[in-house]
Amino acid sequence: MAFKGIKTKDRHIQNLAGIVDGSRSILYHKEDLIAYDCDGFTIHKHLPKAVVFPKNTEEVAEIVKYCAKHHLPFLARGAGTGLSGGAVPLNSEVVISLVRMKNLISIDLENRRAVVEPGFVNLKLTNSISDKGYYYAPDPSSQYCCTIGGNVAENAGGAHCLKYGVTTNHILGLEVVLPDGEVIELGHNGIPDAPGYDLLGLLTGSEGTLGIVTKITVRILKNPEAKKTVLAYFDRVADGSQAVSDIISAGIVPAALEMMDKTAIEGVEAAAFPVGHPKDIAAVLLIEVDGIAAGIDEQIAQILEVCKNRHVREVREAANEEERARWWANRKTGFGAMGAISPDYLVQDGVIPRSRLPEVLDRIEEISAESGLRIANIFHAGDGNLHPLVLFDARIPGQTEKAIDAGSACLQACADAGGTITGEHGVGIEKREEMRFVFKEEEITAQTNIRQVFNPDNLLNAGKLFPTPGRCGEVKKEMKEALLTQ
Amino acid sequence: MLVKEVVNELKALIPEDRMEERKEELHPLGNTGQICIYPVTEEEISAVLKYADDQGKKVLVEGGGTKRGFGGTAESADILLSMKRYTGVTEHEAGDMTLSVKAGTTFKEIQEFLSKYKQQVSLDPAWSDFATIGGIVAANESGPKRLGYGSSRDVVIGLRNVYPDGTIIRSGGKVVKNVAGYDMNKLFVGAMGTLGIISEVTVKLRPLPKYESLILLSFEEKHLDGLRKFSKELLDSSLEPVALELLNPSLSKKLIGESSYTLVIAFEDVENAVHYQEEAVKALLPSDIKMRVAAQKEAQKFWQLFYTISPNGAIGDTEKIAALKIGVINLTILDVIKESHYLQESFQLEVDAHGGVGHGLGQLILKGKSEDLTGAIYHIRDFVQKDGGYAVVKHLPLALRKKVNVWGDKPSYFFLLEGIKSKIDPNKTLNPKRFIGGL
Repeated sequence: MAFKGIKTKDRHIQNLAGIVDGSRSILYHKEDLIAYDCDGFTIHKHLPKAVVFPKNTEEVAEIVKYCAKHHLPFLARGAGTGLSGGAVPLNSEVVISLVRMKNLISIDLENRRAVVEPGFVNLKLTNSISDKGYYYAPDPSSQYCCTIGGNVAENAGGAHCLKYGVTTNHILGLEVVLPDGEVIELGHNGIPDAPGYDLLGLLTGSEGTLGIVTKITVRILKNPEAKKTVLAYFDRVADGSQAVSDIISAGIVPAALEMMDKTAIEGVEAAAFPVGHPKDIAAVLLIEVDGIAAGIDEQIAQILEVCKNRHVREVREAANEEERARWWANRKTGFGAMGAISPDYLVQDGVIPRSRLPEVLDRIEEISAESGLRIANIFHAGDGNLHPLVLFDARIPGQTEKAIDAGSACLQACADAGGTITGEHGVGIEKREEMRFVFKEEEITAQTNIRQVFNPDNLLNAGKLFPTPGRCGEVKKEMKEALLTQ
Repeated sequence: MLVKEVVNELKALIPEDRMEERKEELHPLGNTGQICIYPVTEEEISAVLKYADDQGKKVLVEGGGTKRGFGGTAESADILLSMKRYTGVTEHEAGDMTLSVKAGTTFKEIQEFLSKYKQQVSLDPAWSDFATIGGIVAANESGPKRLGYGSSRDVVIGLRNVYPDGTIIRSGGKVVKNVAGYDMNKLFVGAMGTLGIISEVTVKLRPLPKYESLILLSFEEKHLDGLRKFSKELLDSSLEPVALELLNPSLSKKLIGESSYTLVIAFEDVENAVHYQEEAVKALLPSDIKMRVAAQKEAQKFWQLFYTISPNGAIGDTEKIAALKIGVINLTILDVIKESHYLQESFQLEVDAHGGVGHGLGQLILKGKSEDLTGAIYHIRDFVQKDGGYAVVKHLPLALRKKVNVWGDKPSYFFLLEGIKSKIDPNKTLNPKRFIGGL
């Protein structure tokens, strides 16, 4: 069937256009596809076969059935803010963009839940219910544009997950299109603990390799009665990280506990949201406590005392909401801010036991010295999630490879300290080989066996998350070669 | 193969003094074994399991035995693998707020260990002096405080699992935030031991609350509409109760000597914040409702008693008793608790009921004759399914478990559950037919 307005003889494109009802819901010209050749992880690029924009579950299911029948690789994509390459069409996939499925389907404040389509933007949910005093807790830094569907795929975190948990702790139900096109509902009516294996938990964070989520029931929370935010400057990183441990050991569960080191501070101060951090400071802590107002002052007093005991240079509370918002804008735009002090940067996402922070930071400093590249550190210090930002200049031959190696070495340091290689960005393409830092071969097989149950032909988002069996190292080499030819 | 021969072969894997041939008569709850084995190392667990898997023997796994009446249609399997002696903390770094512990350790032991550091595992399962962490996690147990702290699936950050072929598979890790690979922890939490034996559990911890109190509000039958309205107002406020649990009159009588619907509101925070919230509840309260506050030790005493109300398969609570876990949309739990009155009247049963208005999970404990128990189970299952909820039978004598579908209907995606089971346990060695749809 030749579909009106479709200027290609490719029958698959014609047929897919038929499913999504027209030429305005499909892209297939090379110049249109370039925008979809990568996501927030820009080192590895590949053109998709086509991009389709379904508007409902039925269309997604039809597209998937079509692809399955014709053995066309396919994958789902949200806003494309992922940082590990999960949405890169490595195998010339048909990209199923879910951005047109962006409705807020229902809100049930009494039962504290909302139902959204996958393309609904994270922050819009909070904005839709904030007048009633409610919010959606997971707050990745990209929340102003990332979609909740993508958050589910990556099990996204955020600055406030120290107290409130990550995406998986807030998902009550999912409608999923399986890789053969069958539609299933997990967590019927958003009721917890549905009898059977916890597929809801398994699907969340599976990086779009087990199914395509088309509807999401999330838990929403009541705004805390009060919130206070403190900024603390330290002359020594060790003092700052010790203060983090002391706060936690004092039995305080802060809503957020963030840290930036000297290089990171240099970046954020040079970028769009400077707040006047001193240039010569070794570490800044941003600490937020929320909850019942009557209990907060006591906790803040304790935090101030902890900081003083750890030789803080200066510590102060945000004077008002406006100042608090400025501090957070400064922190949340931290990655992008590195662009102000370096032509390129590579962000990593290791996690370590909180108490090992000083030694891991020392190791990262060594890695920086060995590679000759500066490394800025931004952390969710409260939960030990480090984001080393390796600064480099891709125009200088060899620097990109050096940056990749340095990033990988940082992850090795995290794994060696008893931690893991990713806390919230996902494995994607980027950290496939690093999976071996934390899992044995049979543990990886145990996971790919589960993938086989859902995605037996591996047509859905193939080549992600897992290292290629027995090809350790080679893929990294390929990645580098791919870079050199770009 | 005769039991004797199996014993002889097992002797090569595990010392004789940690092996028991079954002596007791048929157990009314079933889920026993011809031979009971008490491994003390992970290698032993692995060796026994591999042996059984190779030889086509069936293995049941048990912790403290509290859930002996939960699922399963067999009186006994070839081997009962008891985790009771595989105990102890393997790793605890107070500053990291994480704990790794062997699966056979009782919950009480863990909490006592952690209290020295003013820390806790923020779960509140029943029978903490019997229940092991492995069993709690395998059954995804939670209590009323789930509202504030979540359930096993939220607290577990890492597991060591022994697969039926003897392989040790780690899932998750030792850090609180981790998205490396699939979140395999979720598969094993609540799998009722059908996908491997959990040998070690790593959990994230919380500080012990600095202060705690309970508010007990008694509502008479005629005030139940007021209860719904009050619950909604409370949920719409910025108060932060860690539990918001409604008790039916029969259970309330047992726990606090008051035969009326009782709403239990628990606060745990710094003392100022707790008192402030007590006052705030008072201000919200309809005028004719009685309010009692139980603070600190008194609150803890209430909870200790509360955690012993469910049947315990390890101690005699065996026959003429059933327990059901109910899941409905949050506020609908109020209707379920009210329905307990109907059950009591129509089926000549003693019915204790409680449920959380903030999360929609509850429990019904029924005592009476077999036919009344089964009748009530069918009735309540129909009742909750109308609103899309479920009823799972958590405790029932074996004879009745063979008649009543313990887990309810299979979900439409059952083929995925079956697929997962057959990848991990193709020979159906572990906990046969213990889980939904005969998994």
